[in-house]
Amino acid sequence: MAIDQVHGARKVGRYVLLSAMAVIVLFPIYMMVVGSLKPGNKVLVHPLLPTDFTTSTLREAWNSGHLGRALWNSALVSTVITIAQVATSILAAYAFAFLRFPGRSIVFVAFLATLLVPLEATLTVNRRTMQDLSWINSYKALTVPFLATAFGIFMIRQVFLQIPREMHEAASMDGLGHLGFLWQVAVPLSRPTIGALALFSFLSSWNQYLWPNLVTTNAKYNTVQTGLKALKSASLDKPNLVIAGTVIVALPIFIVLVAFQRQLIRGLTAGAVKG
Amino acid sequence: MRRHVALSVLVVGGMLGAASCRSGQSLTNAGVDRRPTPTTVTTLPGETTVPPTTQPRKLDTLPPCDVKALDAATSSGPVNITFWHGLSNELGRELERLTAAYNSSQNKVKVNLEFQGGYEQTIDKYLQSSTANRPDMVQMPEYMVQQMIDTKSLVPTQACAESAGYDTSPFLPQALGAYATQGVQWSMPFNMSIPVLYFLKPRFTAAGLDPENPPRSLDDLLAAGKQLVSSGASTYSISLDSDFDGGGGWYVEQWLAKEGEFYANNENGRSAPATKVLYDGPAGVKLLSYLQSLVTEGGGVYVGDNASGQDTLFKLADPTKPASMTIATSAALGPVLSILGGGVIPGITNADVGVGFMPGPRNGQGALVGGASLYIVDGKGGEKAAAAWDYITFLESAASQSQWASATGYIPVRQDALELDPIKSLYVTDPRFKVAYDQLISSAPGPTSQGPVIGPLKQVRRATASAVAEVLTGGDVQTALTKAAQAANDLIANYNAQNP
Amino acid sequence: MKRRWRDSGLATLMLGPSAVILALFVIYPLGKAIWLGQQRCGVTSCTNSGFRQYIDAFRSNDFQDSLIVTLKYALITVPIGLVLGVGLAVLADKYMRGVSIFRTIFSSTVATSVAVASVMWFFLLNPNVGVLAEWIGGRAKTPGLLQSEGLALWAVSASSIWANLGFTFIVVTAGLQGVPKDLYESAYVDGAGGMRRFTNVTLPMISPTLLFATVVLTTRAFQSFGEIDLLTAGGPKGETTTLTYLAYGSGLATSNDDGLRATVSVLLFAVLLVLALVQFRGLEKRVHYGN
Repeated sequence: MAIDQVHGARKVGRYVLLSAMAVIVLFPIYMMVVGSLKPGNKVLVHPLLPTDFTTSTLREAWNSGHLGRALWNSALVSTVITIAQVATSILAAYAFAFLRFPGRSIVFVAFLATLLVPLEATLTVNRRTMQDLSWINSYKALTVPFLATAFGIFMIRQVFLQIPREMHEAASMDGLGHLGFLWQVAVPLSRPTIGALALFSFLSSWNQYLWPNLVTTNAKYNTVQTGLKALKSASLDKPNLVIAGTVIVALPIFIVLVAFQRQLIRGLTAGAVKG
Repeated sequence: MRRHVALSVLVVGGMLGAASCRSGQSLTNAGVDRRPTPTTVTTLPGETTVPPTTQPRKLDTLPPCDVKALDAATSSGPVNITFWHGLSNELGRELERLTAAYNSSQNKVKVNLEFQGGYEQTIDKYLQSSTANRPDMVQMPEYMVQQMIDTKSLVPTQACAESAGYDTSPFLPQALGAYATQGVQWSMPFNMSIPVLYFLKPRFTAAGLDPENPPRSLDDLLAAGKQLVSSGASTYSISLDSDFDGGGGWYVEQWLAKEGEFYANNENGRSAPATKVLYDGPAGVKLLSYLQSLVTEGGGVYVGDNASGQDTLFKLADPTKPASMTIATSAALGPVLSILGGGVIPGITNADVGVGFMPGPRNGQGALVGGASLYIVDGKGGEKAAAAWDYITFLESAASQSQWASATGYIPVRQDALELDPIKSLYVTDPRFKVAYDQLISSAPGPTSQGPVIGPLKQVRRATASAVAEVLTGGDVQTALTKAAQAANDLIANYNAQNP
Repeated sequence: MKRRWRDSGLATLMLGPSAVILALFVIYPLGKAIWLGQQRCGVTSCTNSGFRQYIDAFRSNDFQDSLIVTLKYALITVPIGLVLGVGLAVLADKYMRGVSIFRTIFSSTVATSVAVASVMWFFLLNPNVGVLAEWIGGRAKTPGLLQSEGLALWAVSASSIWANLGFTFIVVTAGLQGVPKDLYESAYVDGAGGMRRFTNVTLPMISPTLLFATVVLTTRAFQSFGEIDLLTAGGPKGETTTLTYLAYGSGLATSNDDGLRATVSVLLFAVLLVLALVQFRGLEKRVHYGN
């Protein structure tokens, strides 16, 4: 451990450097919070410490941006997508890891290949599909296209493959069917990876920007991201209002981050796993 | 490590190599044959060109409107209609108030307002939707006329007006004319605005200029600018932008109209579809050279594409290096006064804001109508169209227009609204609100006073805005305009080819 | 023979939901987009122009300009983002009191979505409302960093580097924790200094992590839309019009022409495909996966 310890002047230097970087990283967030507490007539002056506090800007942003509704929509849509992605991924991953059927590897490669298709290449046609289904302005449009993901299937298949074959054979000797094994053995053993996938799914659906813009025309279906875009274009004559709105929509996800920091690290690094 | 770098260089080099097969064409020409389009209709030998004896009116070939359908339909409760609009904040709230008043004033029609987030979102969503997903009525900005016609999704408001025997005589001819082409009134003007000059009176006084007589001609503007800067009244004279909906596009159209010049051929696209823009001609070059001199000699400051929508106006409030004048839409007057009323610039109250004609040729007289109009959507059933028309007549009434104009700063679309309160008193107590009206009605009669009708006008404005940005940052005027006009003409040619 | 087919029924059931979704919303739209990309569309109808539309579009000035903008953007954001992320992760990887607070701070930007981060930076950089313009002055003040030719792409990059910093930091921190401590010990015993230990031990050991971060950051750079839409709308003079913005931005040649939009997005797919192949073929050989 000796070399991991830092001593004396180098230690001080390291703290100074870390603190300086922390200030730089936090600065934009700090200025936003200060801005959201400023009254409207102070938008052109930039004191580093807020001089006259007011919560009225935050309240007005909350009301005029319909941000409550947007937060609820984002939470709902992200939750549905997360649950569905986890469920479809577990099922498909199990088939690829434990079941025998002809053409398994070809089907698997076909699934994997969908990872290469960027969302942008499919948006136009998918929007037309939504239109043909009359799904414009519905939660279906916001969720259904994302109920499955090859990324999740791949991720969970990798951990399923690490479960020793002998366990599977022993379980079936004990009369445990496939679904029983999946539910009682495979899923509990893969819990960390499943948690990571859930968090990854949640964050990426929460952050969707282009798609919700394309398939909703009614503010009722605004998500946080489209709601913020609407608030920005609608309230440019009141910059402090947009700033306050940004602070409001950023808060919940910050709380999620602090609460789930470990799963998050796992989720984001899952792709870096060896092999 | 070195090999990593070498590899990255190789990859980037490869991509740049691929990039070197540049064709010199613009993206809008992809997949299109670049044959010159015939400009005149040629008659084949042997073909006779006797015109039909009774030419049907264009209007009669379009979807009809029967306003009586509303009465027939309302036995089973009110007709619900959806109205997409792009008005935010105070404007949106005022529209909500008017609509609530309409909904409670009668029981035949119930209007549901759906705010789309702004004009751009309204356009994108309208064009990308099928009939079933479209609203019964939609508000579109002035540059959308041709594209809306080409959606073939409209009940022209003229059909409803004729069916109802609606009297359009009190309307300002400029207001109606903006939304009429090929003899058809496609939509009804609702919120009307034009660019005007905003300036700060105390700084005019400090510079020895008369705050009651702001500059009207471009020469006056240049001279006033020099005086503002040399006297030290402000760091800059005028703040200028290249927003496509402002200084970059819309104002160019305005200046050409003031000059009495067309912006596009075929009488601004109103006698036949426009095939090219004309602003790269001598009149355009002269105007933009003038604009450039405002920055190079007149102490003007270029503030970019006005991304926040308020950068030109905020420049007047800059605590360190302010300007004293800017050109902005008349619709900004309400927000400007309320922001200044809140004390955003220490020492300046909202009484210190002056409003004048947008300086330009012919002493700044005249303007092209901006803002937005109301379209009725076809394919929703006769009773919906009739209901939408009923609501439109409410919004267009003299009383509504008087209320709307005084709450927002928009110009009333009809003269008789000026005889009613609240706008009647407002124009007396605060004449700044009347400046835009006076400027609009001072337009010279004639076809150059009606703005361009071009399918891809929004894209054309963006192309033009690049040229304005180039000019305001010191680029060569003719080169910039020629390049922008070429891009604009490509856009127009391809649009026309795809929308015969 | 029988054994091979034993699980087919169950497999169909288990794969079914994913297969249906991926087929309907990834495979089919891609195929359709490739077909649609050969058409030019007006407001109400489309006409076919064939495969040459892809070639014309690829060679067009607008696409080439955007390709270069996107490459520049990736070349700015990816290396700087990586260096910052690795630097911070290494700095905060030592056993020091309070280091976990710094870790939380450095990973915090992962919680900002594209929209949140972009709106934040929009106001931070705005010449009137933002504080940075006042401090930096010059062109940051008039007309503003996001409006200045030659600077706008850097300003957008700053926002994006900041927004992605949390991600890079977390990934590299996790990678560092996977490096066996005894490797450092033996390097230390061999007399390797801090810098030598970093280049000889740390970098090779975290190279899979770096590959992953590079791929993700590059993909994000190539697919950037939200930050462009909210910060610059592609300006000034197209200097920040990335490929995705060229396809989906407002008021461009692709707006309201679904065909041309499909052409550009399929070309973007092709570019990403080439990039993915190059990254994996070229870099993976050099990555140390250990034993």
